[in-house]
Amino acid sequence: MTDIEILLAQFEEIANNPKKQLEQYISEGKKVIGCYPYYVPEELIYAAGMIPMGLWGKRGNPNKAKEYFAPFYCSLVQMNLEMALNGDLQKLSGVVHTTLCDTLRPSSQNFRVAMDKIPMIFLAHPQNRKPEFGVEYTMAIYSKMLNQLEEIVGRKVSAGDIKEAIKVYNENRQAKREFVKNAGMHPELISAVQRSAVLKSSYFMEKHLHTTMLNELNKMLQASPIEEWHGTRVVTSGIICDNPSFLKILDDNRIAIAADDVAHESRSFRKDAPYNEDPIRSLAVQFADQDQDTILYDPSLNSRPSHIIDLVKNSNAQGVIVLMMTFCDPEEMEYPSLYNALKEAKIPCLKIGYNHQITDFGQARTSLQAFAEVLSMKN
Amino acid sequence: MIDIYTMGIDVGSTTSKCLILKNGKEITGKSLVGVGAGTSGPERAIQSVLSSSKLELEDLDYIMSTGYGRHTIEIADSEMSELSCHARGAYFQFPNVRTIIDIGGQDAKVLHVGDDGMLVNFAMNDKCSAGTGRFLEVMARALEVNVEELASMSQLSKNNITISSTCTVFAESEVISQLAKNTDRCDIIKGIHRSIASRVGALARRNGVIDDVVMTGGVAKNRGVLHALEEELGHKIYTSELAQYNGALGAALFAYQKLSR
Ligand code: SF4
Repeated sequence: MTDIEILLAQFEEIANNPKKQLEQYISEGKKVIGCYPYYVPEELIYAAGMIPMGLWGKRGNPNKAKEYFAPFYCSLVQMNLEMALNGDLQKLSGVVHTTLCDTLRPSSQNFRVAMDKIPMIFLAHPQNRKPEFGVEYTMAIYSKMLNQLEEIVGRKVSAGDIKEAIKVYNENRQAKREFVKNAGMHPELISAVQRSAVLKSSYFMEKHLHTTMLNELNKMLQASPIEEWHGTRVVTSGIICDNPSFLKILDDNRIAIAADDVAHESRSFRKDAPYNEDPIRSLAVQFADQDQDTILYDPSLNSRPSHIIDLVKNSNAQGVIVLMMTFCDPEEMEYPSLYNALKEAKIPCLKIGYNHQITDFGQARTSLQAFAEVLSMKN
Repeated sequence: MIDIYTMGIDVGSTTSKCLILKNGKEITGKSLVGVGAGTSGPERAIQSVLSSSKLELEDLDYIMSTGYGRHTIEIADSEMSELSCHARGAYFQFPNVRTIIDIGGQDAKVLHVGDDGMLVNFAMNDKCSAGTGRFLEVMARALEVNVEELASMSQLSKNNITISSTCTVFAESEVISQLAKNTDRCDIIKGIHRSIASRVGALARRNGVIDDVVMTGGVAKNRGVLHALEEELGHKIYTSELAQYNGALGAALFAYQKLSR
């Protein structure tokens, strides 16, 4: 095994075993807070000396959660509640539940009813996030969240603690952005499966440790010579794309991920928190600066499609694979404008249905192989 | 000149098809077995086409597999997706083709072909079997008729009735309730064909329909579905006797191309 492979295996081990990570934190006497997607200011949790762990559902079928949801709720939200009802989250000291889409909003109430023993922090981000009143509103809800965290941990969190946490998180975001670039340049060294594991592991690790490991990997990748890639290059877009069986199909067909517009991946670390004397304002401004996301209000409707076209051009990709989360209204509603923009820009696009329940990707395999054939014939 | 023989094997979900080409032009044999991936179908189809072509496996210069079970063919030199193969096969038969509607046993696809016969883009149905060959089989069973009889019976229809196009299970219960109301079976069958046309038509319109339109796959044999699709799309649709072998034909053509490179 090369040094790169050894590091990648460590990332994969963590990404595939969040339960083991959780057990370890608990055995070390640390408190863990679960975080729903999207844009939770994890810095506040870190600053309070607790461990934030991402809750993005897991592979499988909802069973107990069906009692709480109509069938047309996305599997991400259904599987989060399923994990809670199965007792997988019982060792958490709290859960931050966000409300940025019409599925998350009712889910927050269902979660509260179903899991009344886990303290729930209700985080209602504003859609009008850019004007000063939006920033002030975000600051108010972040301050409230901080108060609730202080109650859980039993101590006050200082501005200095939060500033330090912001520094740690900015460094981690920077390392992840570097990694995405490096992985795009070295598909022969980083498979789609491994790329996903490296990024996913950060949801289960203390960020400074993830950054240390990732910086080491980035250094090794930067020192590796760039080899000619005998395959195709794409940009992926969607909410989440972490199923190794699916990603393996990309690898089998030599489809490299040159860049991504995935909420679970790059959308979550595009923007750093800028410096401000008041660290809560830093975090609120960071959220105000977020853009090009289906779940964020965008009066122009066009910024995300043009962002994805730029991603394709800048990463030297040949096409876009859209992983359409089943029953995700925000993604579905924005798809036509993306489709039209890509068509106009003559960028081939493949849309594939995706959710946590799919176990057989047979049809996706055929589509992906055909898409790779289309892209390579165009060369 | 030495003759070059290439074989295309299309292992579908419900049938296995084989076709041998001589010098990339002449079809020397073809075979079809009514079972597909994971069965003895592919092996039987291979043996059958070899014997009808009077060839041995060793005489073949290149074997290309395609279709749902393409990965299971050990003797294949390489494999390609059935979408690329359908594009190539249809272009060979109809050089003016730009849109291909392929309805197989368990899926439906609409392909766009460029001026050079290469696949440009495509749309596939989702997981539901509504609008596929399987849908017709389920309906034929409910109506107690053979699938082969559906086309001729639909021609006798006098009244328009609507059958759901969203779900095979719902459509089957609609058919049963129509039977309970003593609705003429010919009318029900025409409704079923229109139901398939509506679903596949929606798929086709996703990327646009460009003439010439060619229909391939097993369901192309059912002229009732073909005519319903023509009505739905407002385009003339061509098909051929080789409709069901189109994927295997495309695979044999790609195999020849591999050798000539
Ligand atoms: S944005 Fe989509 S995937 Fe995410 S929680 Fe809402 S509906 Fe589910």
